[in-house]
Amino acid sequence: MSFLLHCPHCGDRSVYEFRFGGEVKQRPAPDAPEADWIHYSYTKTNTAGVQKEWWNHRSGCGQWLQAQRNTITNEVFETFFPER
Amino acid sequence: MDEHSHTIKFEFCGKPVEARAGDTVASALYRSGQRIFTRSFKYHRPRGLLCLSGKCPNCLMNVDGVPNVRTCMTPVRPGMQVAHQNAYPSLDHDWLSIAQQFDWLMPVGWYYKTMTHPSMWHAAEPYIRKIAGLGVPPLVGTEAGEYEHGYRHAEVAIIGGGPAGLQKAIELGTRGEQVLLIDDQPALGGHLRYSKSSRVAAGELIAQVHKLANVEVLQGSYCFGLYEGNLLGIVQSKPHPEAAERLIHLRARQVVIATGAYEAPLLFRNNDLVGIMLSSAVQRLIRLHGVAPGKVAVVIGSGGRSEELVSDLGEAGIRVAATVPPESVIAATGKGRVTGVQTKNENLRCDLVVVCGHRVPDAGLLSQAGARLEWDGGKGAFIPVDLPPHVFAVGDVTGASFIAASPLPPERVAASKRVFVCVCNDVTSQDLQDAIAEGFDHIETLKRYTTATMGPCQGRMCQLSSIGICAHETQRSMGGTGTTTSRPPNPSVTLGALAGARHHPTRRTPMHYEHDALQAVWMDMGEWKRPRFYKTSSSSEEKVCVKEEYRAVRERVGLIDVSTLGKLDVKGRDCGKLLDKVYAGRLSDLRPGRVRYAVLCDEAGIMLDDGTVSRLSDDHFFITTTTGNLEFVHQWLEWWLIGTGWDVHITNLTGGLAALNLAGPKAREVLAKLTICDLNTKAFSYMACRRAEVSGVQALLMRIGFVGETGWEIHFPAESGAYLWRALLDAGSEFEIRPFAVEAQRLLRLEKQHVIVGVDTDALTNPFEAGMGWVAKLDKEDFIGRAALRRLSGEELKQSLAGFIMNEGELPEDGAAILVDGKLAGRVTSARYSPANWKAVGLAWIPAALARPGAEIQVRVGGRLARARITQQAFYDPEGARLRM
Repeated sequence: MSFLLHCPHCGDRSVYEFRFGGEVKQRPAPDAPEADWIHYSYTKTNTAGVQKEWWNHRSGCGQWLQAQRNTITNEVFETFFPER
Repeated sequence: MDEHSHTIKFEFCGKPVEARAGDTVASALYRSGQRIFTRSFKYHRPRGLLCLSGKCPNCLMNVDGVPNVRTCMTPVRPGMQVAHQNAYPSLDHDWLSIAQQFDWLMPVGWYYKTMTHPSMWHAAEPYIRKIAGLGVPPLVGTEAGEYEHGYRHAEVAIIGGGPAGLQKAIELGTRGEQVLLIDDQPALGGHLRYSKSSRVAAGELIAQVHKLANVEVLQGSYCFGLYEGNLLGIVQSKPHPEAAERLIHLRARQVVIATGAYEAPLLFRNNDLVGIMLSSAVQRLIRLHGVAPGKVAVVIGSGGRSEELVSDLGEAGIRVAATVPPESVIAATGKGRVTGVQTKNENLRCDLVVVCGHRVPDAGLLSQAGARLEWDGGKGAFIPVDLPPHVFAVGDVTGASFIAASPLPPERVAASKRVFVCVCNDVTSQDLQDAIAEGFDHIETLKRYTTATMGPCQGRMCQLSSIGICAHETQRSMGGTGTTTSRPPNPSVTLGALAGARHHPTRRTPMHYEHDALQAVWMDMGEWKRPRFYKTSSSSEEKVCVKEEYRAVRERVGLIDVSTLGKLDVKGRDCGKLLDKVYAGRLSDLRPGRVRYAVLCDEAGIMLDDGTVSRLSDDHFFITTTTGNLEFVHQWLEWWLIGTGWDVHITNLTGGLAALNLAGPKAREVLAKLTICDLNTKAFSYMACRRAEVSGVQALLMRIGFVGETGWEIHFPAESGAYLWRALLDAGSEFEIRPFAVEAQRLLRLEKQHVIVGVDTDALTNPFEAGMGWVAKLDKEDFIGRAALRRLSGEELKQSLAGFIMNEGELPEDGAAILVDGKLAGRVTSARYSPANWKAVGLAWIPAALARPGAEIQVRVGGRLARARITQQAFYDPEGARLRM
């Protein structure tokens, strides 16, 4: 694994500067059924293909960003800061 | 200058060897008369120089303690220590060569067929390891020097300094591109260096490249891998005299592969005898090193290539006995060294056989980049096609000017245990045919079963022949048979180069050198250095020193450096909202000037971290985290802030602030000497915080009690760290203050049953099991982990973290097993001898049903079982009266 990620603040950087934060998920509402919470906490989609995911530029600006990445080819289509 | 000043002296197996400038270790040894360079992997057959270009296994030796060095690629240096490998007692007389008499005992798949039970393998392995193999890794470091890593960027990286690479460098360099040209040879020019036809052109090309300021040449450097994102792994030999190798991580916008082609051997009986060389190796010996490789030669080859060789041999004064086409050769003759060639028509005598072998594009890097290899019968080669974007190929690696050396697949294959296909692992044509007959007829399974193409040359010498035999035996085409997969590293890389220099970042607290002066014994905590205990004037024994530190805190006053705590400054209107959402407890109702203990859980209710949260004003909080979790907690808080629109700003102050904990019955009196802040317990109660000046330093004082005594945690600017440390020790001297360190702190907190997250808890612990259910405020509308904690609060506990006290004087180790009714039931997380109880006390995971005061458990101590009983309240000052004094 040696692809580059584009940090919207710092530019193209080696993926080793980032911490992976997993796929982007929707957190259930506080009063959602228990099954939803269990699904949210323990299951992962494990997409083979393009996935929207979290990365933290830990060795750079320290900010969280989201990326659209193909998990098979590691091609990164888009990176952006989510709305604060 | 006389001839002598050009001589370089080195040692081979303890004997002096003289070399000329420009020699490699291999060429110098050959000139000195050495003909056998290695003994083969399995049969210990003598092997001599074959390719002389770093592509075959025949010249691997130990150089300056480094095993498996390709001596044909290693320039001689004065004083080098070179030694042979895999032969006993010497290369010329190897007793282990008896192995070839027993080749019938070692059919293909020998391991799988004979080692059918683990006990057989265990019995045989030590002997096999001694007999078969390559070099021996050094037990400790080598004399070779340091290993370094470097990181570089280039617009264009060109791999290969032959004519195609040079031309491309000139073309791109003239256009103004920033070019890095990487060449594994000692000088630029590639095959032009030893092929006389175009020597002048080489000089011109090289001169042009050197004129271009934007073209940089890395000589003596080889590329072993082309990875994702055009990352190239490059090993540079001897970047400077102190360094053995430098591993360069090169990121290039575009990569041009100009690695050219190499020559691979032909198949006939005894084709591995010493004195049988590839034609390019013969040319290299003659032209680059001025060595005549023999007296009488037979050239195996046809067409223009063989004519060129005949002319070269003639110029070097070598008589050519005959030129024979590859198809007519039956065997080479000789015992160890070649003495002749047997063809269909005649027996020729010679001491050198020149093989004009198959030309193979050196396309490994292109394959790694994703290119496909397509068979071209006319060229007799697999040609790289479908190159990925940003990767290009030029020159012979594209197979542009190839003509097949001999037909592939071959018309007939002689089955023999003496036709060596794979010289690395001694795999013969017989072995391949047997394997195919046994059903391993796919090129990938054939490779794994026979180990052909799996040796140090990584298939360079044998891949084409293996595919040829496989295609012939299975009656498929070459293209239909296909190639095996090329993977990095290729060629092989030393472990030293991969490991590189060891740069461990070290963090020191602002009081680090104060601790040094006080004879601290250090321990590592993540990147931090922390004192474990301080030696005393009378003792350096840990037990004695820790007890002194313990007694100072319990009876008088102690001072500990807690600067390694994570420190986060949180400001903004909505801090309370964020902290309520992320921490399990409620923090929005914390009054300014108060401190609260808080626990962080994940959505599954697992405890991630703990620390204190202080409210300095309505919109200003100060958080401490455990030493190892700062980065995580900071990222976690930032992450949960995203999308909320809340006004919160988090600043990491860990490095900017020093922190001390002054604790003990006399702590108030010591601190009062240095501050006008009212420290009376009514004005400054337990779990309160104030800003105050201490000895002239602006500080934040927090009255908390991890160690169970009245005390203050003092946070202040790091630059005043050493000053305030000394000021407090001076102020405390009349009370016999003593610095205390991590080990005493762990004992002090254990007596209070204060849990350390990550020591007493693990990656599956929830607050209820840890006996800290009170930290989770389940009536809050929402927080991270609420759903899981609500569920867990209604479930029956399976295990509990509980305190225990030993019945007798034993001291269990951290991690010791807990037994109930003779069955394993839990484990000790922390145990220390408690001076307050005259017994060892600790925390342990036990079945929840046993978590009641007085319950009996057994603890394994030094192989025996000792009795202990559960105590749910603190071992020291259970009411916490001393904290509130």
